[in-house]
Amino acid sequence: MLRNAVWLAARSLWWYRGRTITIVLCLAVTLWAPLTVRLLVRQFQADILDRARSTPLIIGTKGSRIDLVLHGLYFEAIPPEFTTMREATYVRESGFAQAIPLHIRFRTQSAGATRGAPIVGTSLEYFEFRRLTIQHGQPLTRLGDCILGAGFAAQAGLSPGDSLLSAPRNAFNLAGDYPLKMQVAGVFYRTHTPDDDAVFVDLKTAWIIEGIGHGHQKLTFESADQLLKSNSAGTLTANASVLPYMEVTDENEAAFHFHGDEEDYPVSEIIALPKDRQAQTMLLGRYASVRQSNALCMKPGDVVDDLLSMVFRIEQLFRIAAVVSTVVTLLLLGLVVFLSVRLREPEMTTMQRIGSARGTTALLIGTEMLLLLVTAIGLSVGTALMTEHLASGWLRHLLF
Amino acid sequence: MISISDLRYTRPDGDFTLNIPTLEVASQSAMAVTGPSGSGKTTLLNLIAGILTPCSGHVQIGDTDISQLSESSRRAFRLNNIGLVFQSFELVEYLSVVENVLLPARISPALTLTNELKRRAHDLLVQAGLQRYVGRAVTQLSQGERQRVAICRALLTDPMLLLADEPTGNLDPAASHGTVGILLEQVWNHGATLVMVSHDHTLLNQFDSTIDFRSLPSGNTDIVSGPGDSGAA
Repeated sequence: MLRNAVWLAARSLWWYRGRTITIVLCLAVTLWAPLTVRLLVRQFQADILDRARSTPLIIGTKGSRIDLVLHGLYFEAIPPEFTTMREATYVRESGFAQAIPLHIRFRTQSAGATRGAPIVGTSLEYFEFRRLTIQHGQPLTRLGDCILGAGFAAQAGLSPGDSLLSAPRNAFNLAGDYPLKMQVAGVFYRTHTPDDDAVFVDLKTAWIIEGIGHGHQKLTFESADQLLKSNSAGTLTANASVLPYMEVTDENEAAFHFHGDEEDYPVSEIIALPKDRQAQTMLLGRYASVRQSNALCMKPGDVVDDLLSMVFRIEQLFRIAAVVSTVVTLLLLGLVVFLSVRLREPEMTTMQRIGSARGTTALLIGTEMLLLLVTAIGLSVGTALMTEHLASGWLRHLLF
Repeated sequence: MISISDLRYTRPDGDFTLNIPTLEVASQSAMAVTGPSGSGKTTLLNLIAGILTPCSGHVQIGDTDISQLSESSRRAFRLNNIGLVFQSFELVEYLSVVENVLLPARISPALTLTNELKRRAHDLLVQAGLQRYVGRAVTQLSQGERQRVAICRALLTDPMLLLADEPTGNLDPAASHGTVGILLEQVWNHGATLVMVSHDHTLLNQFDSTIDFRSLPSGNTDIVSGPGDSGAA
C-alpha cells in the first residue's frame, strides 16, 4: 500500500510540478540558510581552532591580541606594530622555547585577476613546525628565493624557475622599499591551511624587501665621481645614482649586505614552541611580569576562543531569524497544503467512493508532504554542503 | 440480486427521508431509475453501494447484507463486487488513461495490482475503443471518451453489480447511446446487474425495468421527500 501511495504521490507532485517546485524551493531556502550558516561556522571554528591550538604561543608587540594572533596565524589581518629580533633572541636564550620569527608585511604584486599573496619571511623551523613539505622544486638555498603555497602557485600559474615581484608598500615613495624579483625555488604540498595561499621567503629576504638589506654596484675609491656623495677619511658614501640590485643572482649575491644590528631588525610575530608545559607556563609568567613592558605573549587558542564566543553570539541571532522564517514558511506551507487538499477534495471523495479507506487519503497526502520535505531537505543539505565547499575559503579571506 | 426491505434513510440535516419498503432487482438485469432532482435517486445508489448506511432496514446484494457490514468490509465488498460510474466521470487528472482504470488497485489493500489486472485494464480499453489513448492524460480526451475510461475503471474487477449515476448527463446523444451500450453489454454478455440513474427518457426502453420515483405504485415502494421536493411523493 505504501508503495502505491508513494507512486500516486509522485505522480501527483509531477503533474502539479509548478506548485511542487515552488513549495520545495521555499522549504529548501528556509532550511538552507541556517544550515549553511551552521556548517560555515563549524568549519570556520574547526579551521581557526585547529591552527590556533596547534600554535602554542605567539609573541608580539603589545596591542590588539586578536589582530596579533590572526595576523600570525592567517597572515591577512591588520598587521600589528612590529617587534624586533631581540625578542626572539630573548625567547631562545631563556631556554624555555624554540623561537620562530615571522616577518609578514609585504605581498607579491597582483597579476591580472590574481591578488598578490602575503610574503612570509621566516626561518626553516617554521616549515618543520607546520609540516610543510616541498612537492616540486627545492628548499630555499639563496637570498631572494621563495617557496610558494600550493594554492597560490596554482592560482598564479607559477612553478619552480619562475619569478615574481614583491609589491612596494607605497609605489610613489621613491625613498621607500623597492620591489624585489624573487625566484620560485619550490612549491609546497597543499595543506588546506592559510599556508597554501602564502609565499615563503627567508627572513633575510624579507628584510631585503623591507630595505634593511640591499645590494648595489660595488664602490671603490676609483669609482666614478657621479656615484659618490663623499670620499673622505677613507669612507665612501654613495649618492642616489648608485643602482640597487632588484634581484639576487649568483653574480651579485655577495654584494648584498645588511646595515645595523640584527637584533633591531623587525619581525611581526614570534611563534614560541615551549619544551614542555612547565616551560610554557614559565615563559608566559615572564611575559606577564618582567617582560610585560616589552611584548605580549599569549596562547592563540585562548584568543580564538574569545573570538569564537563572539561569532557564536552572532550565530545565535541567525538562529533566531531562522526559527522565525521557518515558522512563517511552515505556516505558509500549511496554508498551501490546506488549499491543495480542498482543491483535491473531489478526487479524494472519488477514491473513497470507489473503495479507499479514509486512512488511504491521509496516507496519500502525508506521503506527498513527506516527499516534498525529503526533496527540500535533500536539496538544502546538498546546496549547503556545496556552499560550504565553495565559501569556506572565501569566508576566511573575508574575515581576515 | 438486489433485495431491499424496510429501508429508511434520513439525511443528517433531517431535510430528506427516503423510505423503500421493498425493492427487488433481478440478477443479470438492467434497471433504470428516473425521477426529478432531489428525489433520492443518488441516495438509493449510495445505499446500495454501501457508501451510505441506512437508518433502518436491509440492503442485500446476492447473499450479503451490505447494511450489516462494517465500514471496512463494505469498502472491500464495494471494491470487489460493485462497479461505480459517475456523471462527472471523476477521473484523476494526474493519471493517464490506463492508470485511471487501474486506480482501484492502487488505493485499496483489498486489491493487488497484478500483471493479470494490468492485462485486463488494457483489454477493457481495447474493448472500449480507447487503445490509442492508453498512455495519454485523461484531460486530453473528449467527454465521451472520459466516460468510457470511467466505465473501464468500474469494470476492472469484473463486478457482479454496476451502479451508474447519470453517466450520460454530460454527454451528447451519440456518446450517451455508446456509453449505455457498453454498460448493457456487461449485462447481456457478462452476466452483470445494472442499476442506472438517468434523466434521458430516450434510453429507458433499453432497460429491463424502470423505476420512476414519481410514479411508483404505492404500497410497493414509498419515497417521501422533504418539504421542498413535492415531485417524489
